[in-house]
Amino acid sequence: MLEIRNLHVSIGDRPILAGIDLDVKAGEVHAIMGPNGSGKSTLAQVLAGREGYAVTAGSVRYLDRDLVGQDLLALAPEQRARAGIFLAFQYPLEIPGVANVQLLRSALNSVRLQRGESELDAMDFLDTVKSKLALLDMDESFLYRAVNEGFSGGEKKRNEILQMAVLEPRLAILDETDSGLDIDALKTVAHGVNALKHPERAVILVTHYQRLLNYIVPDHVHVLAGGRIVRSGDAGLALELEDRGYGWLIPESGSLEEMRP
Amino acid sequence: MNPTLYRRALEHTIGSPQQMASRKVALERFFTHGLPTPRDEDWKYTALDFLEQMDLHAPHAAEDWASEDYPGIVMRFGNGRLTDADLRSIHAHGLADHADSPLVVRYLGRLADTLPGGAALADINSALWQDGLLLHVPVGWKASPVFVTHYASESDAMLHLRHLVVLEAGTEAVLVEHDQGTPDLPYWHNSVTEIVLGEGARLTHIKLDEDSAAATHTSLTLVGQSRDSRYHALSLLVGGRVARHDTRVNLNGSGAECQLDGLFIADARRHIDQHLHVEHAAPHTTSRQTWRGIATGRGRGIFDSRVVVQPGAQKADAQQSSRNLLLSPHAEIDVKPQLEIHADDVRCSHGATVGQLDEAQVFYLRSRGIAADTARALLLHGFAGEALGLLKNAALSDWLEPHLAAALPLLNKELTT
Ligand SMILES: Nc1ncnc2c1ncn2[C@@H]1O[C@H](COP(=O)(O)OP(=O)(O)O)[C@@H](O)[C@H]1O
Ligand SMILES: [Mg+2]
Repeated sequence: MLEIRNLHVSIGDRPILAGIDLDVKAGEVHAIMGPNGSGKSTLAQVLAGREGYAVTAGSVRYLDRDLVGQDLLALAPEQRARAGIFLAFQYPLEIPGVANVQLLRSALNSVRLQRGESELDAMDFLDTVKSKLALLDMDESFLYRAVNEGFSGGEKKRNEILQMAVLEPRLAILDETDSGLDIDALKTVAHGVNALKHPERAVILVTHYQRLLNYIVPDHVHVLAGGRIVRSGDAGLALELEDRGYGWLIPESGSLEEMRP
Repeated sequence: MNPTLYRRALEHTIGSPQQMASRKVALERFFTHGLPTPRDEDWKYTALDFLEQMDLHAPHAAEDWASEDYPGIVMRFGNGRLTDADLRSIHAHGLADHADSPLVVRYLGRLADTLPGGAALADINSALWQDGLLLHVPVGWKASPVFVTHYASESDAMLHLRHLVVLEAGTEAVLVEHDQGTPDLPYWHNSVTEIVLGEGARLTHIKLDEDSAAATHTSLTLVGQSRDSRYHALSLLVGGRVARHDTRVNLNGSGAECQLDGLFIADARRHIDQHLHVEHAAPHTTSRQTWRGIATGRGRGIFDSRVVVQPGAQKADAQQSSRNLLLSPHAEIDVKPQLEIHADDVRCSHGATVGQLDEAQVFYLRSRGIAADTARALLLHGFAGEALGLLKNAALSDWLEPHLAAALPLLNKELTT
């Protein structure tokens, strides 16, 4: 579904990603872990199409029905989203004056049009959204609040998952959606992600902690350090990291203690 | 200055001998200043001397015209005169018809003719007004919403509308002023609205300015508030070539509250100068301001807001927020918030920003599948809605919304040129 080859990315003239290779197949859950500043969010944002990053080498191919083999990096962010890619932001933006329901409706209808489906009218749309709210144990009043404005950290993360649940992406990338959540919120988020699981869908979980992985079991775990994937393994790798930190994986690094998750 | 043109216009006014005498006095007061010039500190950004290059004259004809439907009582004005009064109206009347009533004699000019330092535009209006609205709500009533809708269709006409609103103690009303004109027609619309709020009275006052793109619109709104009264103004200013809107509120009684919200859009070559002035003259008074400004094309916006807390106005609470968006490199917005505090136990704050659309927000929306143009339009609408959304009256919001949507700049065009 996703093929990343030798991806190099810089911000300004500072290299951040230094040759990422990653294959994600339909039906799989991948976890990407790694110390702060290792480039996890950069990777996630580049996949979603954020401007301001220079791709200096490499390619990303997204293998979808409509976009067979197309270079993902050539697409505008909205085209990627309509092709089924969704990024849950590590730091969701606040948008005063725009109600959640406006964003959801505008987004869902754009995505539906792309899939060859008709726009939903107000009633059908509300039905759809309400079923997702119920799934995530969220109150309907959420819909009428301005997007993320004045939301607590946990509410923002839940709101990202709500958007994901409504848009039903084929490839969901969750950037530290678990950080700052209490255990109940964590379970709710995990429930939302697990409900999306499907043989034709894939999930990339960027996370700092292994505790989310107790609820969403990954097929593959990768460690990103210094802009490269330095180790890949199965779910057992996450447990090992929990015990040993990241230091043992980054031999050339000087100060390893701070890199413990 | 050319006194003849104003004297000739005075000949087109009518009234009792007393009225004519006071019009002449007002005209002489006007002659001592003439039109404001940039030499006046308050008029630094907006020159009006070009008006006298026009063939200014009192309007000849007041034609009736077909207005849109409004959710309330409609008082229709054409070229400065009442052309159609709503038959259902109980509290709204033509001012000219009631000019000799004791109420009008008592209140008209009370605020406008006593402005500290004088105000030339109020003076010329006091001399030359032909008609306007009288809204009087006696004790025990709640008035239906009144829509005062004005259409200008005469080139180079001077249109001095004059409105008087008197809400007696405990009453409530909604007043909407909607101004329009023949597209691209030059004229000068200079309106004065005096508002007297009795104890505990509440007024919601909406202004929608959609004057022609060649018009000059100057307006002055003066509000005197008694104890525990509440004034909520909401302005959507999207018309005129040169527009200058002054609002002055005196919070005279303790517990009085005013909320001044609005949005201006300076697009194409519009120059729009917005001045607010609130005087906290009594203890426990509250003022709130939420203004948004958008400038695009070669538009120029000015937001000047002055809040004065007088000695003795303890526990005054004043908050100002002004946020502004520049959508083109040739647009300009100047923001001047001023707090003048002469009491020690007060709560005052202000915040003013001028910036661009936040591209991180645009990306966030695009990452949800929303097209870039739509994302920007949503953000702009949301930005505008921060001020207009403060209107807690669904029928009025529904009426205003399409006017807002029509006025928002088309971003795809603006941002690529
Ligand atoms: N906009 C930016 N400008 C400059 N440097 C940045 C920017 N965003 C991220 N970086 C730098 O890139 C590196 C990787 O950051 P990030 O991808 O956020 O890491 P992670 O998500 O793994 O914590 C960090 O050193 C960070 O300081
Ligand atoms: Mg990160």
